[in-house]
Amino acid sequence: MSKSKKSSQKSQTDDLVGAVLVIGGGIAGIQASLDLTEMGFKVFLVEKTPSIGGRMAQLDKTFPTNDCSLCILAPKMVEVFRNPNIELMTYSEVIEVSGHVGHFYIKILKKPRYVDEDKCTGCGDCASKCPKIEAPNIFDMNLGKRKSIYIPFPQAVPPVYLIDSDMCLFLNKGVCKVCERICEAQAINFEQKPEEVQIEVGAIIVAIGFDMLASKLPDNWGYKYENVITSLEYERILCASGPFEGHVLRLSDEKEPQKIAFIQCAGSRDFHIGIPYCSSVCCMYIAKEAIITKEHSNSSECYIFRHDLRAYGKNFYEYTQRAQDEYGVKYFNSKISKIVEDPETKDLIIHYEDLNDGKFNDLRANLVILATPLVPSEGSEKVAKILGINIDKYKFFKEKTLYDKLSSEREGIFLCGFCQGPLDIPETVADASGVANKVSTLLYPVRNTLLKEKIVSVPEKKINLEDEPCIGVLICHCGINIGKYVDVPQVVEYIKTLPNVTVTVDNLYSCSSDSQTSIKELIAEYDLNRFIVASCTPRTHEKLFQETCEEAGLNKYLFEMVNIRDQCSWVHMEQKVDGTKKAKDLIEMAVAKSRLLKPQKESKLPITPEALIIGGGISGLIATLNIAKQGFTTHLVEKESQLGGNLNNLYQIFPGYQKASEFLEPFVNKVKSHSNINIYLNSNITEIRGYIGNYDVIITTKGNKVNNIKVGAIIVATGANELIPETIYNYKKEKNVITQLELEQKLRKENLEWLDNIKSITFILCVNSRQKEGITYCSNICCTNALKNINILKKLKPDLALILIYRDLQMSKKGNEEFYRDSRKNALFLRYSLDKLPIISKTKNGKFNYKITLFEHNLKGDIEFYSDLIILATPMIAPENFKELSKMLKVPQDQSGFFLEAHVKLRPIDFATDGVFLCGCAHWPKNIQESIAQANGAAGRAIRILGAKEMKTSGLVAEVIEDYCIGCGKCADVCPYNAIELIEVEKTFEDYTLRLKKSKVNSALCKGCGTCGVQCPNSAIIIKHFSFKQINAMIEAYLKN
Amino acid sequence: MKIVEKSSKKQDIEFKPNIVCFCCNWCSYAGADLAGVSRFQYPASIRIIRVMCSGRVEPAFILKSFKDNIDGVLVTGCHIGDCHYISGNEFTKDRFERLTKILKFLGLEDRFRLEWISASEGKKFAELITTFTNQIKKLGPLNNI
Ligand code: FES
Repeated sequence: MSKSKKSSQKSQTDDLVGAVLVIGGGIAGIQASLDLTEMGFKVFLVEKTPSIGGRMAQLDKTFPTNDCSLCILAPKMVEVFRNPNIELMTYSEVIEVSGHVGHFYIKILKKPRYVDEDKCTGCGDCASKCPKIEAPNIFDMNLGKRKSIYIPFPQAVPPVYLIDSDMCLFLNKGVCKVCERICEAQAINFEQKPEEVQIEVGAIIVAIGFDMLASKLPDNWGYKYENVITSLEYERILCASGPFEGHVLRLSDEKEPQKIAFIQCAGSRDFHIGIPYCSSVCCMYIAKEAIITKEHSNSSECYIFRHDLRAYGKNFYEYTQRAQDEYGVKYFNSKISKIVEDPETKDLIIHYEDLNDGKFNDLRANLVILATPLVPSEGSEKVAKILGINIDKYKFFKEKTLYDKLSSEREGIFLCGFCQGPLDIPETVADASGVANKVSTLLYPVRNTLLKEKIVSVPEKKINLEDEPCIGVLICHCGINIGKYVDVPQVVEYIKTLPNVTVTVDNLYSCSSDSQTSIKELIAEYDLNRFIVASCTPRTHEKLFQETCEEAGLNKYLFEMVNIRDQCSWVHMEQKVDGTKKAKDLIEMAVAKSRLLKPQKESKLPITPEALIIGGGISGLIATLNIAKQGFTTHLVEKESQLGGNLNNLYQIFPGYQKASEFLEPFVNKVKSHSNINIYLNSNITEIRGYIGNYDVIITTKGNKVNNIKVGAIIVATGANELIPETIYNYKKEKNVITQLELEQKLRKENLEWLDNIKSITFILCVNSRQKEGITYCSNICCTNALKNINILKKLKPDLALILIYRDLQMSKKGNEEFYRDSRKNALFLRYSLDKLPIISKTKNGKFNYKITLFEHNLKGDIEFYSDLIILATPMIAPENFKELSKMLKVPQDQSGFFLEAHVKLRPIDFATDGVFLCGCAHWPKNIQESIAQANGAAGRAIRILGAKEMKTSGLVAEVIEDYCIGCGKCADVCPYNAIELIEVEKTFEDYTLRLKKSKVNSALCKGCGTCGVQCPNSAIIIKHFSFKQINAMIEAYLKN
Repeated sequence: MKIVEKSSKKQDIEFKPNIVCFCCNWCSYAGADLAGVSRFQYPASIRIIRVMCSGRVEPAFILKSFKDNIDGVLVTGCHIGDCHYISGNEFTKDRFERLTKILKFLGLEDRFRLEWISASEGKKFAELITTFTNQIKKLGPLNNI
């Protein structure tokens, strides 16, 4: 029996496929795909709509940094497009799945675009001539109109048009075909039929995102009125490339609204007719939209109708405060009863109950924005059926267990992003890396089996810098896109006359594949050592031409691109003479730079395939196990004498059915028994040197035992502490005023006699947090923790009186709202506000220990009650010792002392320093479920490096000329990546030797931004490919002729 | 009186400013591309020089441009907080605030401008070029000074 099982397992490993299907091309699917290819897997990315980008592409800005959403997303979209190991299938749907974990058979339906994806150049001539403008623009939430041949949005990926088959005149009435006549690339193909594609993969990731519920809302929200819109519609209105070009206008009269009302929780957290859960992101994006509205027009008035304020992430609460204090946004703690339209002015009258005084009021607004519930995408039930996975009662995909939310109940199928439950962008990105890690843990034996490696057969030409530059120039007509507005033949004639230009040619489409062949032929025929293409934008096409050059044996840094379409012909359509002159100048400037271009080396660095995890709490344990499982030696350092971190102090884990110790035990045992794991207890890190792939670390164990290890990647999982309130509520003096953790410790005791004498317990939430001074943030987990403990206490002693005093209840995420409603029966819930804190006084010889006095808003007066035990929910804070670690690792802390990630939206678990990652409460207070998901993500990010064996560095880096360097260190001060180090070198001058300080750039860490070069007072730093000389030559060339 | 007006108007038409515009690869260059994709028209007066980050732009490049008789210089980058290299544009801001003082001394400050443009602000890019070109037109050619 056991033998046959073993053999079947083995054959399963043989059967594994090193490819992954990712369904959904939003930020979740994009991040997972990119991570997976770096881990060594081929990816099929299937997206239902014609472009990837998802909801994030529709947003104007993102909170709390107000980053432009598309600016940070678009580079990732382009990266997907160019990645040779991602097969992008847009406008496609998965229709059949069979097989089993490790080897699935997938059928995909590709819908016809009626435009040949390989031929379309994205020029847009077809759309400009298409006679039909009637289709609602889906990307703009139907606010604008578009043609029946269209591209969803300008930055769409793939940058390819398609025909709306419901709208197209030819497809419906058999007349027109204007696009076919106009398209110079001959990309229009009305014969296209739906196509079925079959693929085989080892695992499936579902990341199909969400929709915004609107038309199905109950009538009282007033969505049917013209000037009541959803917040996603408002995002499009705010966006500079949206339907009103970024002007805030209302729909009825396209006039600027003066009074704007934002309504939170419109239709959610409603157990009768709405959506029962909290969508988790609305509190924040509403604050953001209000701030941006104020930035657009400072005179406008913004009102936010809120219920609970759930601002639980990094800098979130502070952001909502800024909205009020700096921007004058007004918040109403309220309940909406109805929104009605004034038919004459089309203004809206909002009827609401003010929860601060219980009174009913009206407010007139010119525009109303509803934060309606975010619900699983349309069609997710169908997808669930096809995949054979379950959905939960809210119609989100059902996770395997509460603590393994990245896995579905079917083996080999994983869940990521909003389709599993409400999440914000950074959580989604972390989950995407986590899910990639899950796949990698499953498929690691077949890593790198299906990757396309580029093989260049032509050896690289040797370039001597003394050689005369021989430059080839190719000028593109881009159909008529350039040719019509710029006199290309005239430009060609002019460029031919420039010194060092050996050959100049023009062609119709430089990006076509036969053009690549002719570029290679040109380089060979004329023995060129530089090449220039003047066409569209390098942002999308530079890499393609660089690869072509490489295939012709030309170092890719000897290529230069000129943008004469997006930045010339398209913006000077009425200025042919000046446009032509501009094209000539731009190319001439590029020729000047090109003469000075040098081949650059991309060196390879070896990587030590071992990892260091700092911190042995649940996050550290999960990260360690995941990396070890995939075959890498992992060192786990814990400062205490046992593994488990904060879980060692808990009684039961949320939601209160399992003992923390029972939950923890299997993880600890697995870590202890795994042969790839070295555990260092009672130990601290005392020194870290080196850089990505090559860190030298010294671990010091109690009793001064010292270990030297070498690792390639480091994960910081050091956790956080509970704030000890000291003076607050007389905590220090009163033994019956305790913190939540102290309560947990009391509950952990075998003997619960202490509870016998207690008749009543009061919990006070938000103690010393969410205030103007001191701890300003919301600590995210205290509310659910308090409710868990209330339920536990009620079970232990049913006649116990429980009171909970709160300011706002943080019950975001799937299921928590319901958990809260269920817990209500176990306690009395009372609200307090920051300006009227509850007062606790000791009773003398009374029945109870304490009297609590609280101002009740509805009664407008104080109420009093008694308790024996007071539990203070204090925030999680960053431990003092973060400072030391932060210095050693050269990674920053945020203003609250937690570690600061590389980018709050898109790199939530990376540090700016490559090779160091972050997870768990060291990043921000989070619960067990979130910590585990993030730990998976951090492991995944590290695996990308550990699995790579060696790392390629970019040629676009800074370099120090040692002789010029005066060792002042200014460059090191401005480098955001810690890529510059001051080292001591010995210099011998005739008969004496000096020790001098010199800067040294670590090319493994340098990103080539160039800031250091400008900072250097002695011009000792060369920024390769953008050198002082090269840019100067460009300036000089401009007016030379 | 009338004649003077006419001649100055004529000069307006004839004088086509030459402007250098530095763009960072990640935001303002992308914004310039979006202006193109959206076909927002602006005068053909600028020549864009692409750098990876606005933090790469040396104040010396601006002085060099003026020395070479270029009539105006624009430096553009990501909005503060958006820089692809975390903090590059903060240094840009500092540096060019200092440079502006020198330019003031030289009487050149109206010929220089630092602007933040995001990848979705194609319209803003086109408008910037239009207004800046008009401004330089009013100032006249640099070698006239
Ligand atoms: S990358 Fe745009 S300013 Fe730094």
